[in-house]
Amino acid sequence: MRKIRPWKMMLAVTMIMSLLSACGGPAKEAGAPSAPKGNTENNSAAGETAPDPLGKYPETVVVTEVLGYNPPEDPRTPSGITPDQNAYLRDLKEMMNIEVKYKWTVPSAQYEQKFSLAMASGDLPDVIEVDQKNYEKLKKQGMLADLTEAYAIYASPDLKSYMESDGGFAMKRFSEDGKQLGIPAFEDPFLSTQILWIRQDWLKNLGLEAPKTMDELEKVALAFTNNDPDQNGKNDTYGLALQKNLFFWGFDVRGFFNGFGAYPSVGDNQSAWIKGSDGKLIPGLIQPEVKTGLGKLQQWYKDGIIDKEFALKDENKAVEDLISGKVGISYGEWWYPNWPLNSSVDKDPKADWIAIQLPGVDGPAKSLVPKIRSNKIFVVNKKAKNPEAAVKMLNFYIEVGKKEFKDKNRAEEGYVYNWFNPRIANPVDIDTIYMEVNKALDANQTEIDINDANYKTVADTFKATQDYLANDTSNATKGINWGLYYSRAAKDGGWGLTKKIKETDQFVYNEYYGLPTPTIVEKGGQLDKLMQESFTKIIMGASLDEFDKFVDSWNALGGKQIIDEVNEWYNTEAEK
Amino acid sequence: MKSLKKEMPLHIMLIPGVIVTLIYAYGPMVGLVMAFQQFEPLSGFFKSDFVGWDNFNYVFHLPDFKQVLWNTLIIAISKMVLSLLVPLILALLLNELTKKWFAGFIQSAIFLPFFLSWTVLGGVIIELFSLSGPINGLIASMGFEPIMFMLDNSWFRGIIIGSDVWKGMGYNMIIMLAAITGINATLYEAAEVDGAGKWKQMLHITLPGISPIIILLAVLGLGGILNAGFEQILMMYNPTVYEGADIIDTFVYRLGMFSQQFGPAAAVGLFKSVISLFMVSVTYYAAYKFNNYRIF
Repeated sequence: MRKIRPWKMMLAVTMIMSLLSACGGPAKEAGAPSAPKGNTENNSAAGETAPDPLGKYPETVVVTEVLGYNPPEDPRTPSGITPDQNAYLRDLKEMMNIEVKYKWTVPSAQYEQKFSLAMASGDLPDVIEVDQKNYEKLKKQGMLADLTEAYAIYASPDLKSYMESDGGFAMKRFSEDGKQLGIPAFEDPFLSTQILWIRQDWLKNLGLEAPKTMDELEKVALAFTNNDPDQNGKNDTYGLALQKNLFFWGFDVRGFFNGFGAYPSVGDNQSAWIKGSDGKLIPGLIQPEVKTGLGKLQQWYKDGIIDKEFALKDENKAVEDLISGKVGISYGEWWYPNWPLNSSVDKDPKADWIAIQLPGVDGPAKSLVPKIRSNKIFVVNKKAKNPEAAVKMLNFYIEVGKKEFKDKNRAEEGYVYNWFNPRIANPVDIDTIYMEVNKALDANQTEIDINDANYKTVADTFKATQDYLANDTSNATKGINWGLYYSRAAKDGGWGLTKKIKETDQFVYNEYYGLPTPTIVEKGGQLDKLMQESFTKIIMGASLDEFDKFVDSWNALGGKQIIDEVNEWYNTEAEK
Repeated sequence: MKSLKKEMPLHIMLIPGVIVTLIYAYGPMVGLVMAFQQFEPLSGFFKSDFVGWDNFNYVFHLPDFKQVLWNTLIIAISKMVLSLLVPLILALLLNELTKKWFAGFIQSAIFLPFFLSWTVLGGVIIELFSLSGPINGLIASMGFEPIMFMLDNSWFRGIIIGSDVWKGMGYNMIIMLAAITGINATLYEAAEVDGAGKWKQMLHITLPGISPIIILLAVLGLGGILNAGFEQILMMYNPTVYEGADIIDTFVYRLGMFSQQFGPAAAVGLFKSVISLFMVSVTYYAAYKFNNYRIF
């Protein structure tokens, strides 16, 4: 009898299995190549049998990455831990035999600069997190590996269901000529909605109501500045938290301008584009409503509602003031209770922050919301030996969100989720948590009854909610419990209010979601400097007419071209 | 021939230095081609398209360029002049101190800030000059209105220049002190016999004695005519003082790092180097012509 050589057998099995899994995917992926050559070779060489999304490599696969990291969010994380000690990496090695090696890690503030340098020198890791701009750059250079096969074969059902939650829109955005070049992490765009956070206990101390209009807000802010809202007998408080970037990701004044029907920016210094009366897109930054808002800010600055030296402050300084109880109002998104307001509550148990809709000229105003929210795309370097490892790592992170891992993966043990990459969360994650926790609360359940990949996040919030409502601080401090509850689950909290804004149509879309146009790339820095300089000076007391000069300069220095380019995009590429 | 043989060990000892210079100073000059390219990082020097003088045209026609160049010149020249004058005065004064231990202490105290980095000092200076800082505390205690030094264009440049001179003055001072010590003591004795007081001695012996060193420091300093202190300004500036403190380096930094326009950024770098080379050559020639002094 002729013996079949073991490796041939394995090759055959692998090929059959990969065929099966390729066809097992949703119908629209049936067109994926049916004989994934690269992978079978890899697997057979390594002696593996079937492409299991969560399977273990027989030989250690080393994947290089780079990381820009923030401090761990959970205060219970062991102090002094470094990204390469992250317990998730240890588990990844154990479960899949993938070893992550960081080429470098820097605090996230330096990441952009460091990554620019790495790109300039062509020294890129295997798996890379990029934004849209760098995605286009790498794509143009032909640096990106084709992930079509790896995704079709290795993506776990959970990952696939995430990617299809928006009908495959985001995935399509990052494929080219049928090649999947990146896997986007995308989220509900309403996560970017700005609302107003305000100290309810201070309002109570002063006998004031939560403001609904700009005038009421001004009255409250003035009282917070002058009338000793914390009743400590010292004149040591002010009204509105603000740092030097007027349009940032928090502690800024995007929502303030929305209150005047002005939509200058979507944050991170990016201009917002709204639909004008003639159906064309217009830049929110140069509309007359912005001038009105600046005038008001100027007055607030004069009245001491805003810190006299806000232009010297970065976000950390603004956060210090929030935590130490120096300031009682801040414009921000749904996650504030989770950070930094939880620390404020822990420092001063009387601190009672509430979320309210943006006060407007007459009654609540509409918030600006982006059309899509995806500025994190995972790509694989063309030179990487195992592109499918990236997909498996995505599977891994989703998998460890399940119930059986939940008790083990605690922050105290060194699990720092926001350091692990690539990491894709359920795009409708927040709404799942909100619905499930409220369902369990309303039915007076003691346990939640789901066991899919959302288990961990839902259960964490539910536990914190129960502890908070029962005033139990044995697992976590009051601030942490409250933070999880009030950001995600409370009906009047961060997401609860945002959901209401979404459902009652109290928002305006930022219509532009394309990449920076050539003129934005070329002149954007210049225009941004002009804006920062003019706006800061106006707020600090320069003549309001400076705004008209700013608009003229903005148009002359390339703004006009940008308007044309954006409208060109809007007419040809936008989905209306 | 004989001398070459004798000097052989010295030449050999030079080799490592020369190699390091070649690798780290001359090697990177290849990168200057970026200034003439539409540089794409991943295509590298060899595959990026050449665009001639376009990058220079683009940069020189940016609306802020004149302002930025002007700021750079003012700040750099003030720093250069002051960081010769202040250490010179300090050195002359220190030289007159008779108690050696006291002179040594003062000397160390003045030298110390030189070793601190701007990353640390920048934060310290912002705090010092902030509204709640000690300097405004002093101003308030004397009954004046507090001043927002760091947010005011009329103050900010002065603070930049002043703090840089303060930080660096110990270095030049020590070089000058060393030169003063090198002056032949018999000259002073002779002057005293001739009835010259301290002031005359300083004018006619000390200053001429250390003039080569002053010229050397000036020539070396002039090469940096367009270096107004990148790190320092980056740590300390903010949008309200762009008008008076945005310099070529911070400008290029934003251009290169945040807008990723490597070509124009390299063009500005090359522009700076050419100006520096020109300035160094001119001073070198002038020092030779008027003072018959050669550095190299």
